[in-house]
Amino acid sequence: MRSVALRFEVAALPTPLQSSISPDFVRHFSLFAAKRLAFVPAAVLIVITLSFFIVNLVPSDAAREKAGGLASDADVAAVKHQLGLDQDIWHRYADFMSNLLTHGSLGRSYYSDRPVWQDVWLFLPSTIELIVLSLIIATVVGVGAGTIGAHFKNRFPDFVVRAFVTITQAIPDFFLGLLLIFLIFYKAGWLPAPTGQNGLLEFPEHPITHAVLFDSIVNGQWRLARSAFSHAVLPALTLGIFYSAYFAKTARSVIGTAFDSYQVEFARSLGLPDRQVLGYAFRQARTPIITYGSILFAALIGGAAIVETVFAWGGYGQFAIERILHLDIPEVQGFIMVAGLFTLIIFLVLDLLVIFLDPRVSIG
Amino acid sequence: MASRGLVGALRRIDPIAAAGVLLVISFIVIAYAVPYSPIDDANAHRESLVGPGKYWFGTDNLGRDVFRRVLAGARLDLPLALSGMAVSLILGVPLGLLASQKSRWAERFMRGLDMFQAFPLLVLAIVLVALAGNHLYMVVVAIALINTPRFIRLVRSEALSLRESRFVEAAVAIGATRARVMFRHLLPNTTGTILVQASLTAAQSIVVIAALAYLGIGIRPPQASWGAMIKDGSQGITTGQWWIAIFPGIAVFICVLLFNQIADRLEKVLSRGARG
Repeated sequence: MRSVALRFEVAALPTPLQSSISPDFVRHFSLFAAKRLAFVPAAVLIVITLSFFIVNLVPSDAAREKAGGLASDADVAAVKHQLGLDQDIWHRYADFMSNLLTHGSLGRSYYSDRPVWQDVWLFLPSTIELIVLSLIIATVVGVGAGTIGAHFKNRFPDFVVRAFVTITQAIPDFFLGLLLIFLIFYKAGWLPAPTGQNGLLEFPEHPITHAVLFDSIVNGQWRLARSAFSHAVLPALTLGIFYSAYFAKTARSVIGTAFDSYQVEFARSLGLPDRQVLGYAFRQARTPIITYGSILFAALIGGAAIVETVFAWGGYGQFAIERILHLDIPEVQGFIMVAGLFTLIIFLVLDLLVIFLDPRVSIG
Repeated sequence: MASRGLVGALRRIDPIAAAGVLLVISFIVIAYAVPYSPIDDANAHRESLVGPGKYWFGTDNLGRDVFRRVLAGARLDLPLALSGMAVSLILGVPLGLLASQKSRWAERFMRGLDMFQAFPLLVLAIVLVALAGNHLYMVVVAIALINTPRFIRLVRSEALSLRESRFVEAAVAIGATRARVMFRHLLPNTTGTILVQASLTAAQSIVVIAALAYLGIGIRPPQASWGAMIKDGSQGITTGQWWIAIFPGIAVFICVLLFNQIADRLEKVLSRGARG
């Protein structure tokens, strides 16, 4: 009889995925959110200003690059004047900011003359698609491996997980990509050649976001969707495996600590099934995993660039690297700004989410 | 407390960490001992087979010996990574110690650092090196840009907790100057952590250098560097000439693994010291 009573009490505890929401908490939360949001405009301004100065303070010769290697000094000077690069930096900053504030414009590419925003919308969705796919793989593989490691601490499976982490952390992501291309495309022939988001002879119709997998699913073009999916597997796997190491490491140590905690010991002593105990342990691991995932999401806007290049993914990172190599200053500026703003937004959401999920985090 | 310092770390030297350091050093020595000249080597042999024989690692698209080029790559990549690490350390450690003071400026400085880290640092490094015109020293600047903030943060947080301890309080009570507290009391007690971070930085720098070279930034073609070699070989990957890219890739892997393991072992030694 006694054990039944205890069981009843345990069942009354919040389930692992529930958060305690009291009116008091809501008040604290909205106060914190308001404070945090009030900081945003200043932060945005700082990010925009920093992106301008980072790109413009580096001594570069964009005019000569654009004029070409054989151009005479007079030609270069003419190009310089045309691009407005002969003005001093404060003047250019004032121009840049007034353009941004009055027209919302980030300028035009030195080469294609396309508005920078247009390129952002053209290329960014593909990168986000890749990041989402990679993060799914990274979390599932990483947290799974970490949990196995924690559960079988200092036994064989744990050893395998640790070896996996050690090895993956030492392989540069772009080299891992090449290895996978060699093994899975060339040797095994399971997946198509790394030709980007679709085959060379496929032409996506009715693009919405220009992220091929997403578009083809929305449009119901299933044949293209299948091809896009098989093209996405290798790059997503590359980034996924590479970053799963960090998830595995974090998950292993956090869940390992959670397994030793009093509340898990208590749950065990009540004879709860393993699955439920794991649920309670997970609850403690949730915050660091979400935190790391969000940081990674933001970092990969630029961080996926080299893997994008390896797979000719045609996302924003690859585009930015091409533009950087041509010293296309407005585009580079735009890229750094978008990446910075993206990070800002993600961190804002993360801060609020963590407070919401883990009320122990002090609100101040 | 002494066990946390450099002397302590050296006294309890870890055989595996020591072996790792020796391996890295011998790698560099061998790289310099084997003569290599990119121009003499080019077009010498057209065969690009791999396996036992004259060219164990095969030859690349231009008929150059991949084995020699991998060794020659160590001449460039490793010293570059180590100097990038040294610059980050020299800048980051004093700044971190300064920022551990309780002042409004330190607080502002750290907030500024937060904003700065909102940008993708690898991309910033690429921008910096590409815009400034592909000089080797810019690669070092780029590595410092990525890693100095990490040193600052780490040293600051370590120093902040040390400032709470009795011996610092005692030093302040005797009337030690701020500089003396920082460099005689705080710095020696953070050496262990700094060493661990330095090793991790070296590992990460190798990856950054390889990534830059892979994109064709920073290092110019005839010079052998692992990243550029991986780029050269990336075409061959889809047609079966795997050795051109795989061997330099393995070189990167081994070096990064070594530095990571050294850091790992040092950390273990330190935590043992802190407990015992």
